[in-house]
Amino acid sequence: MSVETPKTAVAPAAPPKRPFFDWRVWTVAVVLLLAVGLSVVLGVKQRSQQGYFGMRMFPLKAAYDFKLNGPNSAEVRLDQFHGKAVLFLFGFTHCANICPTSLTNLAQVYQALTPEERQRVQVVFISVDPNRDTAQTLQEYVTSFDPAFIGLTGPKPAIDQTVLAYGGSYEMVAGTTNQPNDYSVNHSAYAYLINPSGMFELLYDNDKLADVQKMVTDIRAVLREPASASH
Amino acid sequence: MFRLSAIGYWLFSSLLAAHSVLADEPPAVQVQHPWMRAVPAVMDSTAVYMTLVNTGIVPAKLVGGSTAIADSVAPMITTKEGEGLKQMVGMKSVDALEIPAHGTLVLEPNGNHLMVMGLKEHPKEGAQVDFTIKLEPGDHEIHLKVPVSKTPVK
Repeated sequence: MSVETPKTAVAPAAPPKRPFFDWRVWTVAVVLLLAVGLSVVLGVKQRSQQGYFGMRMFPLKAAYDFKLNGPNSAEVRLDQFHGKAVLFLFGFTHCANICPTSLTNLAQVYQALTPEERQRVQVVFISVDPNRDTAQTLQEYVTSFDPAFIGLTGPKPAIDQTVLAYGGSYEMVAGTTNQPNDYSVNHSAYAYLINPSGMFELLYDNDKLADVQKMVTDIRAVLREPASASH
Repeated sequence: MFRLSAIGYWLFSSLLAAHSVLADEPPAVQVQHPWMRAVPAVMDSTAVYMTLVNTGIVPAKLVGGSTAIADSVAPMITTKEGEGLKQMVGMKSVDALEIPAHGTLVLEPNGNHLMVMGLKEHPKEGAQVDFTIKLEPGDHEIHLKVPVSKTPVK
């Protein structure tokens, strides 16, 4: 390819010479580099967040070590399950719709795991209605969904402290009659997943628990995490 | 002029049709996939779920129900208050749940349901329960055989 140069043209003024350290060029280059770098970092981070079905806590923090009463009123602490993934939720046994739905879904999730995985997973139902739910009725209730589930209750301050520590809430709502035991409980309907290192890692709203396969994938991912990744 | 009278005739006849439906016809509601949640003996209540399809031109209302195995049945809605972690889910008794004309009312886990209170029996999974729902207008009843199940019946 040849370029024809006009013969008669007046020589144009020489373009201003660009020094090597033209600040404009360098500014553009640095901004571009930063943008690329940032998008790579954010992309990777987002991918790791998207890798979970539940909402992942960031940063991960040690889960509040609740101390409540389990089967036969024995004290049960969260720390006892170190090395296991713990899935717990708040509720009450007089709940006819939300709680049985969540527990039925969790039973399906639990049964979809392998026996080896089940050894490393504990589902816990925490009653926010100690007035009506005794350790005994609670145990009969939760084991009807799966024999491996446990129900916890305790003195109201211990329950309140647990609810508060996980950012939840609940309130009693009077029923239509004036009977003292005719009330319902509005409560946080989340499931909290504590990883085997004892960190509160994932949060699920109750509708998500119906998606058995995605729940199982999350639990498997949490069980595979190296212990160091959580610190 | 002809057009006006045609419209008038149409209006009159549809009013007449609506009137006859309102006055005499039971709500044109069909029930699909009813089921009752199987619950352990320690529970004194359970829930019944179903889909109600209104094929008529008149809105209908589900106002309640009854069954020999429980003291009472009431329509309930699920309530959500607050945002984020503080959100609380609860339920609230309502007088009626509407089934819109040519519309559907879905009663499902975590959502609207018929709460069955004061259980006298705890039928096991696979059992069938005689269950009656009450609709308005017209104090209309539909008698159902509702299967008992731990998981949704489709």
